[in-house]
Amino acid sequence: MRTLVWVLVVGLVALLGIALSQLGALDPFKNGALTVASPLERALRTAASPAADFLDNTTDRQDLEDENRLLRQQIEELTAEIAHLKEAQFTAADLAELAEVEESRPDDQLVVARVIARDPSNLKERLAIDHGSSDGISEGMVVMSEGGSLVGVISKVLDDFAWVILITDPNSNVNAMVLESRAQGVVSGSLHDGLSMDLIPQDAEVEPGNTVATSGLGGNFPQALLIGQVAAVRGEQQDVFKKAEVEPAAGLSRLENVLVLTSFTTIHLESP
Amino acid sequence: MRYLLFVPLILFVALAQVATAPYFPLLGVRANPLLVLLMCWAVVRRPRETMVLIPLAGAFKDLITTDPVGVSVLALLPIVPLAAIRERRPMESDFLPTLAVVAVASLSYHLIYMMVLTAVGDGPPWLQSPMRVLLPAALFNALLTPIFYLPVRWATMLSEMVRPSIRVPS
Repeated sequence: MRTLVWVLVVGLVALLGIALSQLGALDPFKNGALTVASPLERALRTAASPAADFLDNTTDRQDLEDENRLLRQQIEELTAEIAHLKEAQFTAADLAELAEVEESRPDDQLVVARVIARDPSNLKERLAIDHGSSDGISEGMVVMSEGGSLVGVISKVLDDFAWVILITDPNSNVNAMVLESRAQGVVSGSLHDGLSMDLIPQDAEVEPGNTVATSGLGGNFPQALLIGQVAAVRGEQQDVFKKAEVEPAAGLSRLENVLVLTSFTTIHLESP
Repeated sequence: MRYLLFVPLILFVALAQVATAPYFPLLGVRANPLLVLLMCWAVVRRPRETMVLIPLAGAFKDLITTDPVGVSVLALLPIVPLAAIRERRPMESDFLPTLAVVAVASLSYHLIYMMVLTAVGDGPPWLQSPMRVLLPAALFNALLTPIFYLPVRWATMLSEMVRPSIRVPS
């Protein structure tokens, strides 16, 4: 009987807490808790990182690890540059379109933020960063890696912190295109299965190694922001659409700093 | 008085889970040491203490993650009734039933968590979840049980030796 009463009372209080959270009434408490917890989290993460590195089969030698990280960043930057150049090559033919792209992407204004935590849930892929509304961050802003490829979108903002929904999150969908063939589709996250690009027309030419970038459709992301490379293509001839597995360009599992694109504003399209 | 020790310990485990669990995946999933510890605690030391610790640990974890405050508390609630059921069916060994209740608690945790997330419009893909999250997580958490079960058991035995008047279930 006592157990039942406890379950009912605590359950009701928890439901009340969830409702208040949804209304944003507990955001100041979350902000305060993160302020206190983030240095401790960082210390714990630093303490655990050697073991994590070892288990991750990367390397336990710091110098090789640093070199590897540097090289990966350079590759990412170069691939992002190639993506922009390919995009410029295609769009240069159409000056009007180029002007439109430039208009929608004025000089990028970026805020550098440090990753302070990852969501431990098995059902989400989210990051916490150490900048919030007091730094000009707002929901829907695009988040990039240091190399300039797409990481995700700001999903929740507190005063001094913000949460980023990664492109690998099961609830993430990004309108994308394969730069080589201009084939369009939607890049979606999944539960522990990486990224996939769906809704690619069956007749579109897509091959492993092709570059995938944002298409800009829908107005939620700037155009030609590098997402990754096609790792494999799936789909039978009789299928309506092809599906491609995409390897993200950004090393999403070990991000330490990210760039928040504050100058890009999401375009809210009204239904016709 | 004992809660002066227990509460910081359980909050530390919650913090450590948030800080490090994403970097130690197994079978494609992340462990839930907080759930495993609370379940072992409830089985070995009886559920009374966990009735205090669950709301505190759950609320603290939710405050430092993206979850709405209360979702982890709800998801951890079945620990107490599961431990109560376990108490009513005494067995020679405590460890094997603990493995079983940890696995069941893990399943119920994720089911409640998914239901709440779906209700608040942040739901995961339900069809993919059983094979990719629910079952691997139950297995992973069960594998973690000895790491938490043995220290809780030894600490309880030690406290019983120091204070023999406190009855500890065998």
